[in-house]
Amino acid sequence: MKNVKIGWFFAIVLSVSVMSATAFCGFYVAKADATLFNNRSEVILVRDGLRTVITMSNDFQGNMRDFAMVVPVPVVLKESDIKVVSRRVFNVLDEYSSPRLVEYYDENPCMRYMSDQMLYNSESSEMTRSKMVFSTEEDAGFGVTIEAKYSIGEYDILILSAKESGGLKDWLLINGYKIPATAGEVLQPYIKSNMKFFVVKVNLDKMQTGYEYLSPIQISFEHEKFMLPIRLGMANSQGEQDMIVYAFTKQGRIECTNYRTVKMPTDKNIPLFVRNQFGDFYKDLFQRTYKYEGRNAVFLEYAWNVSPQNTGMKCDPCVGPPPIFNDFVEAGVDWALTGSTANNVFFTRLHVRYGRDKFPADLTFQETPNNENYQCRYVLTHPAYGPFDCEDAQSYLESLKERRKKEIDELYALTGKGDVKSGAYLIEFDKHLKKPVKSEKGEEERNDFVPWAPIDNRISPWKILPAVGLFLFIFGIMRYASVRPRTAV
Amino acid sequence: MYPQLLSLKDWFASDGRHFQIISQTLFLMYGFYFLGWDADWLNIIAAFAGTLIITWLAIKRGMVGRHSLKSALITSLGLSLLLKANSPWLFLLAAVLAIGQKVLIRPGNKHLWNPANFGIVAVVILSGSAWISPGQWGSGALLIFIIGSLGLAVLSKIKRLETGFTFLIVLSSLEAARSIFYMGWGADVWLHKMSSGSLWLFALFMITDPMTSPNSRPMRILWATGIAIVSFVLANFYFINAAPFWVLFFATPLNFIIDRLYKSMPFKWFEDNPISISSQIQITQDK
Repeated sequence: MKNVKIGWFFAIVLSVSVMSATAFCGFYVAKADATLFNNRSEVILVRDGLRTVITMSNDFQGNMRDFAMVVPVPVVLKESDIKVVSRRVFNVLDEYSSPRLVEYYDENPCMRYMSDQMLYNSESSEMTRSKMVFSTEEDAGFGVTIEAKYSIGEYDILILSAKESGGLKDWLLINGYKIPATAGEVLQPYIKSNMKFFVVKVNLDKMQTGYEYLSPIQISFEHEKFMLPIRLGMANSQGEQDMIVYAFTKQGRIECTNYRTVKMPTDKNIPLFVRNQFGDFYKDLFQRTYKYEGRNAVFLEYAWNVSPQNTGMKCDPCVGPPPIFNDFVEAGVDWALTGSTANNVFFTRLHVRYGRDKFPADLTFQETPNNENYQCRYVLTHPAYGPFDCEDAQSYLESLKERRKKEIDELYALTGKGDVKSGAYLIEFDKHLKKPVKSEKGEEERNDFVPWAPIDNRISPWKILPAVGLFLFIFGIMRYASVRPRTAV
Repeated sequence: MYPQLLSLKDWFASDGRHFQIISQTLFLMYGFYFLGWDADWLNIIAAFAGTLIITWLAIKRGMVGRHSLKSALITSLGLSLLLKANSPWLFLLAAVLAIGQKVLIRPGNKHLWNPANFGIVAVVILSGSAWISPGQWGSGALLIFIIGSLGLAVLSKIKRLETGFTFLIVLSSLEAARSIFYMGWGADVWLHKMSSGSLWLFALFMITDPMTSPNSRPMRILWATGIAIVSFVLANFYFINAAPFWVLFFATPLNFIIDRLYKSMPFKWFEDNPISISSQIQITQDK
């Protein structure tokens, strides 16, 4: 992950002179030498029939005067379609659905007592800092129409429609929004597809003193389009950005229709020493998986039926409390409030890392009937700590060593990195062993069967078997079907 | 035509469907092992069981020939490649409906729908627990090459190249006109759209089904153009995902009328006049 951090740093340094602005759906527009950076954005996406509710969070810390944001929307939003919600709901959803670590404890082979304690840990999310921009608002004839003007919460909001990108660009520039040179060509397609522009800036008079962050803005509208416009946010950003999407639907998971939606590896046994560096572990894992999938996939991190009516388990283990009524209201999941069992709430968490080169088009989604639960979960197993004075202990210690070898291999396969602690971890219990374990089995677990396949042991020999079986079966049927009954000739 | 008398190569080349079956199997394995699909073998088993059993029953009743088992394999693979469902029973249902309509609904001794297309659309509409994942292939350029070349082998063998190509050319021209020239996106947005694996699979393996496309060549070209135009409109103005699959479903029954109006020789998977077979045997024996 160090590389990535350097990458970010580099981008920030560059942006001092170039002026950079990024955001999830739209872009932050900067003035003068303002430096903006936002490497992780979060969006709550609610879809019910044609109705979409999008909540965008600005984890933006800096001078509020400098903040401005532009988001393309398919229709002119009414005042009642725009809301300001509390940042808390994002924290609830993030905590509840983040990749989790679960710990199990071995039973002492000599003492036979059970400890079924479990501890949970969640990925630590990094707060990112970004600066903001100020804009003054003036009307001018550039083919730009102010469709609506609202003041909601601490924000002043304009809904603009434009005839052509040049006019819109000029209008924004004259009104003090310093937009990047490349933004014009990105604006054009949105204008042509008849989209409007949701332009937001902060009204300082309405800003409550002592507020350190901006409230998330929620917009809702009815339209067939089920998408997140990410292209605008890439107009002036170098490198990659991360976006977490928390989606709520009635039926089942959402998936991307124009990029692959891939599950993160889950239920993997990893070494104990990962416990204190789980955040870094997950970042490495994500980076590796992202690269392995060709840097143009969308990743599934969580999928679960979270209906209030569903009294069953909502995670295993739960990292944070599942969302409840208040959170649903806040997120815009209005159907959850009726008591009917028909009104399921299905929650999907997607993680997208996107860059201009691999994500040329905006993300489009569909709701699927897939209601299978899924979570990103990594397993730690604590050994039994002595005394090892009975006969069973020796075989336990041997199996423990085997297991630890596998865990170390798994760690390497998942993150592509070894760890200096591995050596000591492997031999930690050797002092209790009466004769040394000489098996090298752990090494053989690595995928040598298909040498060109990734070390990720995704393709292990036994997984190939069904494919071989299928081939033989198909071949057999083909041969059989080619034989004609004797009467034919 | 006795496989034991033909070399493996000659046997393999004797029927265009052999290429198709092998390439579709390879795509399925690619999806499972490299694209990380949920390799749900129960679904695959259900799809194969359904198509093969119904075909077998039809063979026993003398409704179709034994070689129809090959078409059944193609249908099972088509379902496995394109359909997603919450339960293996839905795969079984799709398979039974697909082959059922093929053997039962045969006006003019030609079935109306491509079986896999029918099975998928019927189950998606009827059950509400099945879906199509247009994004599952991603847009790897390598994949296009593989699908393209393997598909080409199939098409040139069965000589229905023009249907798939017409579809691709018309659709990509319309998409280019809209994305690049009208909306002003860069060419990469267009390329991204056109390199969808699902689209190519559709163009090379589904729309080209010789049994469910018009018999007359000019009509086939017109028909494919129509499907491309309607798909384009539905996808871009009505935001319908996997539009070509839906359009094909409604377009194939038109063949019944088209074939009545424009008479042409119906397609056969292989020449089955006894002379050519015996001469073939002769040749093989001479070797």
